[in-house]
Amino acid sequence: MASATDSRYGQKESSDQNFDYMFKILIIGNSSVGKTSFLFRYADDSFTPAFVSTVGIDFKVKTIYRNDKRIKLQIWDTAGQERYRTITTAYYRGAMGFILMYDITNEESFNAVQDWSTQIKTYSWDNAQVLLVGNKCDMEDERVVSSERGRQLADHLGFEFFEASAKDNINVKQTFERLVDVICEKMSESLDTADPAVTGAKQGPQLTDQQAPPHQDCAC
Amino acid sequence: MAQEVSLKSLWESEREVILQVLYRDREVRNIEEERIRKLKTHLQHLRWKGSKSGSQEYKEKSCARCRQALGLLLNRGAVCQGCSHRVCAKCRVFLRMTRAWKCTVCFEDRNVKIKTGEWFFEERAKKFPTEGKHETAGAKLLKSYQKLSKISVVPSSPPPLSESQCGGGPGRFQELGQFKGFNKSVENLFLSVTTHMKKLSKSQNDMTSDKQRPAVGPRRCEGRSERRSQSDTAVNVTTRKVSAPDILNPLNQESPKCPTSPVLKQEGISFSPAPNTLFSGGLRHGSLISINSTCTEMGNFDNANVTGEIELAIRYCFRTRSLEICIKACKNLAYGEEKKKKCNPYVKTYLLPERSSQGKRKTGVQKNTVEPTFQETLKYQVEPSQLATRQLQVSVWHLGTLARRVFLGEVIIPLATWDFEDRTTQSARWYPLQAKAEKDEDSIPTNNGELVVRAKLALPAGPGKLQEAQAFLPGTGDEPSRNGQLCVVVLGAKNLPVRSDGTLNSFVKGCLTLPDQQRLRLKSPVLKKQACPQWKYSFVFKGVTPSQLRQSTLELTVWDQATFGVKDRLLGGARLGSKEEPAGGADSCSRSKLQWQKVLSSPNLWTDMTLTLH
Repeated sequence: MASATDSRYGQKESSDQNFDYMFKILIIGNSSVGKTSFLFRYADDSFTPAFVSTVGIDFKVKTIYRNDKRIKLQIWDTAGQERYRTITTAYYRGAMGFILMYDITNEESFNAVQDWSTQIKTYSWDNAQVLLVGNKCDMEDERVVSSERGRQLADHLGFEFFEASAKDNINVKQTFERLVDVICEKMSESLDTADPAVTGAKQGPQLTDQQAPPHQDCAC
Repeated sequence: MAQEVSLKSLWESEREVILQVLYRDREVRNIEEERIRKLKTHLQHLRWKGSKSGSQEYKEKSCARCRQALGLLLNRGAVCQGCSHRVCAKCRVFLRMTRAWKCTVCFEDRNVKIKTGEWFFEERAKKFPTEGKHETAGAKLLKSYQKLSKISVVPSSPPPLSESQCGGGPGRFQELGQFKGFNKSVENLFLSVTTHMKKLSKSQNDMTSDKQRPAVGPRRCEGRSERRSQSDTAVNVTTRKVSAPDILNPLNQESPKCPTSPVLKQEGISFSPAPNTLFSGGLRHGSLISINSTCTEMGNFDNANVTGEIELAIRYCFRTRSLEICIKACKNLAYGEEKKKKCNPYVKTYLLPERSSQGKRKTGVQKNTVEPTFQETLKYQVEPSQLATRQLQVSVWHLGTLARRVFLGEVIIPLATWDFEDRTTQSARWYPLQAKAEKDEDSIPTNNGELVVRAKLALPAGPGKLQEAQAFLPGTGDEPSRNGQLCVVVLGAKNLPVRSDGTLNSFVKGCLTLPDQQRLRLKSPVLKKQACPQWKYSFVFKGVTPSQLRQSTLELTVWDQATFGVKDRLLGGARLGSKEEPAGGADSCSRSKLQWQKVLSSPNLWTDMTLTLH
């Protein structure tokens, strides 16, 4: 092999562990709602209109800078198809947060949200953070699920809600960042209840102020 | 999902795709675990700094963290809310924007919980208490895959893969539009994945590759002569790597190098003491052997033509019981990469026979030289009595790109005959470097000590012969055939591979695998600080019949309990029962086999056995 390749990788090597912590995130939802596209938009800033069904599971890693911390995200993309269900559900337990996705042009995918939510409740930890995302909001003409219905369902299930478009890169980054923030909140909460002596501890104040204007992250 | 995750229902092609994802995941986990190990090590060092040694009483008030004396009026210290220790003003960390504080250790403890994700595992354990804390779906799937396909992952000599070979792909993948150039067999895949773990994880990080292929990670084509160790070939071992960091011996290196030095990192990653899951069927003997080896001991390295010498001095301080090896310099070393005339040497030592990572000491890496000057002192805490049983192995290595290591030579110095009292032996000497002793390790049977047990199959021989009241379960009338029990008293063990301080916190696990693959597991209490533990502990496996037992396997394994949150270290194990005995120590095996048969054929009689641990 070329030595150039060696050195290229060699240099990067050192930054491997160059992050403060790692979150595992799972994207779930019916087949063809755009989970993989959503992930690719976020991780690679790329979009391919062609539909390629995900085989079982896949993941991407992205390190972001958020709240003064470098957070490595391992984002798992799951196959929506039923036949892979045993594999995909196996990953629920390791995930700290979920992106539950439906397609605003596909009524069926929206109707399935309740079932997906039940899956999370069954297979995941109790404090699993979930964001409901209505994807393909660029296709307004074909919309069959109104934003209002999406929001209501999210409220009902206790999830936060976004409408997004992987194609037009709308709300993609925001979704992930919001999820990271809520996981951080949950983390502070779990540590501080276990440790009542310290309230408002290190992570607390800074992580709760997610109202900060969205700034350009170092999306390295 | 307590139930088994399975890949059975999938097509072969799908499995391969998923397997590739699993391997990538494994590399991510490897890196993560290494990072976590470092964090925990760091925390432990902090703790030590303040810990008072046994002899030193709390006779004066001092800071629990830095041990600085506290005054009566000034700098009186205050009690940390977290740990209730009194600490000085310097050892407090004020929390953001508040006047609340924690001592450095409590603060770091919280930090580590965040950084390691421990908070999540703790939370999750509330819902799934039985779940293995860190076992991931990926690890399970890999295990399940292994069961399914029995892949022997690393071929002995993989042909170098040319670019053209990698370029083509099987038709079905191209049809799917997914697998440009995915044509590697599982073997090659695995080889390339393991040898390129760094690359893979990096390429995930920068996320630039493979944009048009959604479901599959980057493909690697380069063939390499590198090998992974035996333990690395077991694909599901990664979750255990947190074990056995050097922290167990604080006197590690006099001049500790930067913790992110590539050597440390690589060594940590490739070291996989993974006793439990190596072989998914629960047949662990293969792993018993590899458990204490690092990959470099298992042949995962290249060889250079050994030349040159190493200068070192050996000293033993009887007062502090520390063996100090001062690595001074080397000369005329072979180039690690002959063609490029490159050599980045470092020196590694073990006190053989111990080869665990706890017993490993290393110098820093010198760059681009075949005449390195180290001037580093590597220390071991060793009891004088232990010294005579040890051999000092000093090996020189080249650290290449991608952390590939090349063996440059070694010296083995038996300490049994070393005169530590004689001052003249303390001066530095030049030793010629030698090639690895071929087959040397093979000639010494892997003997990790002996376990003395006493076993009896208790059966209800007849109504009048109930000698042992405890031998029978109550209410067994309807199923008389199942009310036998196997009693195994673990008396003690000797010649165990002790830690360098000559002690162990050991315990024994017993696992009886019945013909239906059901496993009965028992565990003895831990005996602390003993080299030759005498547990005298009884394992009683209830509800077994002689016919069942004849097809069952009893595994007894001896473990060294880890000091804190890391995994316990497997010291050795022995297996009794129907399954074929593993290679090595045939004599003792057949002897124990006979003894085992005696146990089964003479119920209600105690049989004493001495089992050789492997």
